[in-house]
Amino acid sequence: MEIKDILDRATNLGKPIIKDAILRLLMNKLTWILILILLLPAILGLWAYTNEQDERQVQEIGGDKIYYYDTENELAGTPIHENVRETFIDISNAFLIKFIGVLMAIMFASELINEEFNKKTIQILRTTPIRPFEIILYRYIAGVVCMFSILAVTSLIYYIITMMNAGLYGIKEESDVLFLVIKLLLLESVAYIGIFILISVYFDRPFFLGIIYWMLWEMIVSGGNYQQITVSHYLNSTLFQGLKNMGWDVSTEDFGLIKSAGDETLDLVTEPFTAAIIIAILALITVGLSARGIERRQF
Amino acid sequence: MSEVILENVTKNYGKVQGISDISVEIKPGLTGILGPNGAGKSTMMKIILGLSRPSIGRVSVMGNNPFTSWEQRKKIGFVPEYDCFYEHMSGLDYVSYFLQMHNNSLEKSDEMAKVSLRELGLGDAMDRKIRTYSRGMRQKTKIARASVFNPDIYVLDEPFQGADPSTRHLLMMKMKEWASEGKTIMISSHILHDIENLTDQIILINNGRMLASGNRHEIRNLMNNIPRQVHVTPIDSKNLRKLAKRMMDESWVRATRIDNNELIIETDSAETFYSELPRIVKKEKIKIEKINSKDDSLDSLYTKLVGGAQWK
Repeated sequence: MEIKDILDRATNLGKPIIKDAILRLLMNKLTWILILILLLPAILGLWAYTNEQDERQVQEIGGDKIYYYDTENELAGTPIHENVRETFIDISNAFLIKFIGVLMAIMFASELINEEFNKKTIQILRTTPIRPFEIILYRYIAGVVCMFSILAVTSLIYYIITMMNAGLYGIKEESDVLFLVIKLLLLESVAYIGIFILISVYFDRPFFLGIIYWMLWEMIVSGGNYQQITVSHYLNSTLFQGLKNMGWDVSTEDFGLIKSAGDETLDLVTEPFTAAIIIAILALITVGLSARGIERRQF
Repeated sequence: MSEVILENVTKNYGKVQGISDISVEIKPGLTGILGPNGAGKSTMMKIILGLSRPSIGRVSVMGNNPFTSWEQRKKIGFVPEYDCFYEHMSGLDYVSYFLQMHNNSLEKSDEMAKVSLRELGLGDAMDRKIRTYSRGMRQKTKIARASVFNPDIYVLDEPFQGADPSTRHLLMMKMKEWASEGKTIMISSHILHDIENLTDQIILINNGRMLASGNRHEIRNLMNNIPRQVHVTPIDSKNLRKLAKRMMDESWVRATRIDNNELIIETDSAETFYSELPRIVKKEKIKIEKINSKDDSLDSLYTKLVGGAQWK
């Protein structure tokens, strides 16, 4: 009954909240600072492209132009796309997903929730007939949409710039790698926005606590035996399995997906589908707990 | 029927007491909640609004617990003391946004918001960003947001704060209009003059405790042990001493004092004073220019009740 009521009200309530929340995120100066930082590797990539485009050979097979490293390069004879795809994955994983993505989630959650506490607009919302679940849900959706859109567009830019030397054939040939990164960015947005909204609801200094959570939990615990209680584990598992399914030569050690049992180490990989389900459940739990926090909060 | 009932309500913030053992029933019409800064007015309002839960006691708003009954929030309009704006929005967007929170469509919300803002004199400014608004305009915008959906109960925390005289007058007219429609309106203020002009129904709080509630005249009558001052001005100032001496013969007169052609008489019984004075002045053949009891104003009432607490 309650779910039906929330769905019935979604058009009138959801639209203005999501629209305003996205607008607020995009008007925030910190968002633009993060976007500028995100564009730095793209600028470097363009510089690399202009320097290296003369150092390649082309072979036309079935109407497709396939680019190879030229004879003076140590990778001579290797198709360029088979090498630069690794650069794309490395930069996406280390910079986009594990660094800027987390910072962006902390910042967005803080803007969406903590700012409402600071400006006391949350008190006005609490005196209007909107359910606490609706207050959180639409802000959560706005946060996920905004974060995912910015990161997905950035990953597309990275991909094109990284693959430019490999030509159109290389761009099309390795598109699965791009989709894998986009999938990871979606999972990351779904998970982290929920977690950091939860922190913002219950604590007064969400930015600081978010950073602490990231450093202690996602960086340290995710490399140990109990990594299954971290989001990083599920993102690493999805990346590892995705690359493995594409035929890449990858090992669990490369992604820290191992645990020690006495003198031995055991693989600790979660199937991508299971990882996605766990992240979705985590998101639902964090949204639910956040709504409960708003409901019980006293001013 | 009382719309708002507080029964032995106490609210503690850790070791600090917000309000203590307040019991009151608020009926439709205008009720002033008065007290100095930090008296507990805002805490009491937050409990009525469901923003805070009593540590002890029970609160009922239209028969419901305001902390848990979110549906009831359709019927309450709240104007907080503080600013609570999305500064990037225009006044129209802001009022319309909160109307949509009442499950109204965008078109309907915009239409209703425009009517309300125009009524409050913001017709020309409603498309401007709130961040450019003056304090008076902000206050009007808050009032528009709180009243646009025609609530049954208004909770107005210091609604005249920052309002210029014309805004103040306009807001008072609106409040009187809502009261005449049978709405329940609670206004907290430390500006006594504003409340005096609006209502006789008052609740006095200080240090979290309710000192008195009811009609201000009734409250005054309860204070028999507190002397009342009446200023009497004879037409001929030569009669001041004569009148002062004569008044001291009466048992219900506690003291007299002459100040600037006025005789200030302190009496234990205002009723006896007003009935006996005409007889005395007639007998003494003293013509009186005016009689003024400043002591009947809320100012002196509060000063006495709160023991000289400082007002902002």
